[in-house]
Amino acid sequence: MTVNRKLISWIVAAALCHTAGLQAAHAGMIATESVASTTELVQVESRRAHVLATLNRADVTDALVNKGVDMDAARARIASLSDQEVVSLADQLDNAPAGASGVLGAIVFIFLLLLLTDILGFTKVYPFTRSIR
Amino acid sequence: MRPGRRRWLARAGALGAVGLLSACASLTASQTRALLAQPPSDLPARVEWTQVPFFPQELNQCGPAALATALGAVGVPIAPEVLGTAVFVPAREGSLQIEMLAAPRRHGHIATRIRPDLVSLLREVAAGQAPVVLLNLGLSIQPLWHYAVVVGYDLPAGEILLRSGTVQREVMPLSTFEHTWSRSSQWAFVVLPPDRLPAQADEAAVTEARIAFERVAPAPQAALAYRTAWQRWPDSLLLGLGLGNALYAAGELPEAEAAYARVAQRHDSAPAWHNLARVRLERHDLAGAHTAAEAAVRRAQVETTWREAADVVWREVQQARQGAASRPKP
Repeated sequence: MTVNRKLISWIVAAALCHTAGLQAAHAGMIATESVASTTELVQVESRRAHVLATLNRADVTDALVNKGVDMDAARARIASLSDQEVVSLADQLDNAPAGASGVLGAIVFIFLLLLLTDILGFTKVYPFTRSIR
Repeated sequence: MRPGRRRWLARAGALGAVGLLSACASLTASQTRALLAQPPSDLPARVEWTQVPFFPQELNQCGPAALATALGAVGVPIAPEVLGTAVFVPAREGSLQIEMLAAPRRHGHIATRIRPDLVSLLREVAAGQAPVVLLNLGLSIQPLWHYAVVVGYDLPAGEILLRSGTVQREVMPLSTFEHTWSRSSQWAFVVLPPDRLPAQADEAAVTEARIAFERVAPAPQAALAYRTAWQRWPDSLLLGLGLGNALYAAGELPEAEAAYARVAQRHDSAPAWHNLARVRLERHDLAGAHTAAEAAVRRAQVETTWREAADVVWREVQQARQGAASRPKP
């Protein structure tokens, strides 16, 4: 019984925190971002994301710091993201494309493959290739 | 040769030919072919923006270099090194797309994703923009991600012009560009000040970018961004409500009220009625606040997300009215 009561009180507390997070904007005004998350403009999934984001900005900042970003810079960067973007960033930090164009650590097969595709004009890895047209 | 076997060979041959053709089809740059065969009549044949600045990238710093180029093109002088602290992720040795879109906000500008097709991209360029594109210069199995900035094109020559990496004027065949761009799902954005809109972006992309801008921008700038977009899409609930919220945050209450009233009437939306009631309450228009709060409560029966907020504002309006009624008249 006490366990149940404890559980219920936790759920109620969590639910209260969540609504407070959603609706506390500009001195009682309903924020544009909150309305956007309830319209069909943004997909259903991001509605869930919105809720998570209100709770997790600090965690995502830490994740960015773990990837080598300076603490102050990470805070400023996360502050400039919308709620939806914060969650996407947390998702993508490990595997989304990161524009880099560094030195290619390719083995010989890959080297030859990319050389061929460069010449055919499907890729543009090497600065010295000119594609045939 | 027996007729049966000949028929089998013919069938196999036909099958092989079909296979080969479909392979070819996937290898040709179909958008480039269509574009060059029949260029849209309103698209200039050649464009080049030579005044767009160039920042040769340091190792792995193509993201900051591309951003500095795009911001420089709209008159924001900023060094790639400064932008590096805003977008570069050391452990990934690169910059992520989300942060590329976010960084211009911190310099008073808005990055908006544009439509993912070649003609739309070239239309942006023709309209004077310098779009940032994400390319996969390698293959899907061996990706080589790279940000570059489109500064022109030459349709008769079938070429696109880029500020890219350490090359100030990279001339790339349009077909190669299409292949490398397709591998990023044709991801591109333009950077513009809040009073301008991309030539081709659609309502959803513009709205999303402006809502994200509102979070960090000074309120008058956010209002300007919403007003510009609302003029183009006057039926948008979010743009109108955003304008109201930005004006309210800027302390321009009469203008905020006008924006809320217009959105509330047009869309009969609970959040709009709610915010209208609040701003009227603040302006001591108790009768007006009452009407709006009533509408907010009515609409919140349907838009249940806002039921609690509507009830709260309703109670506050009633308290204010009772307070006003019990006060002795001068």
